[in-house]
Amino acid sequence: MRKEYGLAARDLVDTLRYSSIKRRDFLRFCGVTAGLLGLSEAYIPKIAHAIEKGTKRPPVVWLNFASDTGCTESLIKATYPNAADLVLDILSVDYNETIMAAAGQQVEEILQKSLKDGNYILVIEGGIPTKHGYGMIAGKDMMDIAKEFAPKAIAILAVGSCATHGGVPAANPNPSAIKGVSAVLGDAYKGKIVNLDLCPVNVEVLVAVIVNYLLFKKLPELDVYGRPKTFYGQLIHDNCERRAHFDAGRFVERFGTEEEALGYCLYKMGCKGPMTYAPCPKILYNDRISWCIKAGAPCIGCGEQGWTDKFAGFYERLPDVSIPGFKGVEFTADKIGLAAGVATAVGIAAHAIASSKRIKKGGEE
Amino acid sequence: MPKKVQLKYEWNWAYRIEHWVHVASMIILVFTGFYIHWPFCLAKCPYCDFNRFLHFVSMYTLIIGLAIRVYMAFFSRFYADWKDFSIIQNIKGAPEMVAYYTFLKGEHKEYRKYNPLQAFTYLSWAGLIIIQALTGLALYTGDVFGLFSSQSAFGWINRLLGGEGFTRILHFLIMWYFIITAVVHVYMSLLQTLVKRDRTFQSMFTGYKLSSATGKKR
Repeated sequence: MRKEYGLAARDLVDTLRYSSIKRRDFLRFCGVTAGLLGLSEAYIPKIAHAIEKGTKRPPVVWLNFASDTGCTESLIKATYPNAADLVLDILSVDYNETIMAAAGQQVEEILQKSLKDGNYILVIEGGIPTKHGYGMIAGKDMMDIAKEFAPKAIAILAVGSCATHGGVPAANPNPSAIKGVSAVLGDAYKGKIVNLDLCPVNVEVLVAVIVNYLLFKKLPELDVYGRPKTFYGQLIHDNCERRAHFDAGRFVERFGTEEEALGYCLYKMGCKGPMTYAPCPKILYNDRISWCIKAGAPCIGCGEQGWTDKFAGFYERLPDVSIPGFKGVEFTADKIGLAAGVATAVGIAAHAIASSKRIKKGGEE
Repeated sequence: MPKKVQLKYEWNWAYRIEHWVHVASMIILVFTGFYIHWPFCLAKCPYCDFNRFLHFVSMYTLIIGLAIRVYMAFFSRFYADWKDFSIIQNIKGAPEMVAYYTFLKGEHKEYRKYNPLQAFTYLSWAGLIIIQALTGLALYTGDVFGLFSSQSAFGWINRLLGGEGFTRILHFLIMWYFIITAVVHVYMSLLQTLVKRDRTFQSMFTGYKLSSATGKKR
């Protein structure tokens, strides 16, 4: 490998040797990434080369805001060759509060140096409280930190649904007024922010977007929510491994039944797969071991913005409808329809009885 | 008092076919729609994919049917009825019809084809078929008429309503409006037939209605 790409690759090759990643594994990773990005085999060496440009490793600054750190957790559980190594050593993560070894003064210096040098990839995990004093790091508001680091970044990746739209911390009633990165930074950064929805983020998607950037020096094509179309372009329902059960009308009606054991469709258990655009059924989680539906849980739609509120009632197929003017009064759509139908039937019956005189008169004429 | 009664050709073949195509597609849409909403009678009915297929085909039929119906309203050589749907005219006439149907008044003005309440209902059907088509397409993931991606063209509706779940709820509640008004529609035509003995109900099959010469025409 060193021969092929020259001395520039020394850092990487040493890193790989140090963390006992085999060349085969590394190339396998490159192949997987090429597959994820929809590139041909011919790109595999190019991907390897892009990652291997040893001396010019793009610095990554990973900021943690209001979240449960699930995305970092997802990152360190990731695929081969151990994405923690990949992202930490190959991509040079200068700062990540959760997994960095350094602390205090030392790490603040690194962070400030990155900020001064600029041209880093800014990864933001977690929502941003927009009220003063509701979320602070080292005496600074999270919102101010985000605004401080955003201008010098070459790309901003909002990972996980907390960072993209607020996620769980921003769920109703949201006392700290948490917002997503795009909402906080505003339109000026449109096109520069990539929203990687899902809770937690799928690390293969994250790595693929970074590799895509290294390879082509641009961000992938984004949809209206700022998500890469490549990954968030298709409905979970359309790629679901249980779709055949849906099409054939085989449903789980209740948990703990034979149907559930047989792995039938979870549509009636409130699965939000038919409303969610995400790559879960294709890429899966935890080294491609499993994902929610494979594990037997209905999808809660965490790939869609505002899922915590709009999909609430995670085991209900549709949310309840609140009647305007009556706060707190909620009905299911079924009940509303049925009530209106019954009222109509009663009304018609009453009207028919009342009309009997007219009908009689009509008969006499 | 014997009135002079004559047969009147009320609906030509085009109107009748259009009507029954709408009826058929509506019935299929409601049935399959309920199935998609909550799959039932699992072992005996056609399965989900077939129900969805029928649902989509019927909706396409309905959309095309509406387009033809609007064309007929303006250019039918038999009877172009677009003037009968004049909102201003019908607002003026509506109170009398409401009074008639609530037994406050014994008689009402005769209309050429549709009384004001009818005209409003049919106009609302036309509007709501369009809304059903739009909300349906916002939920659909295929290509509209096989031409362009439904999601990229109509995804904004989901964003407007706050998510697919709410689009579904709207789609579902409008279906109930169709069910209710359709039942009322059948009831009213039966009632008219019984009260006036003018074969209104049969006219949608045969095309002919009995017309009393005394009725005021407009």
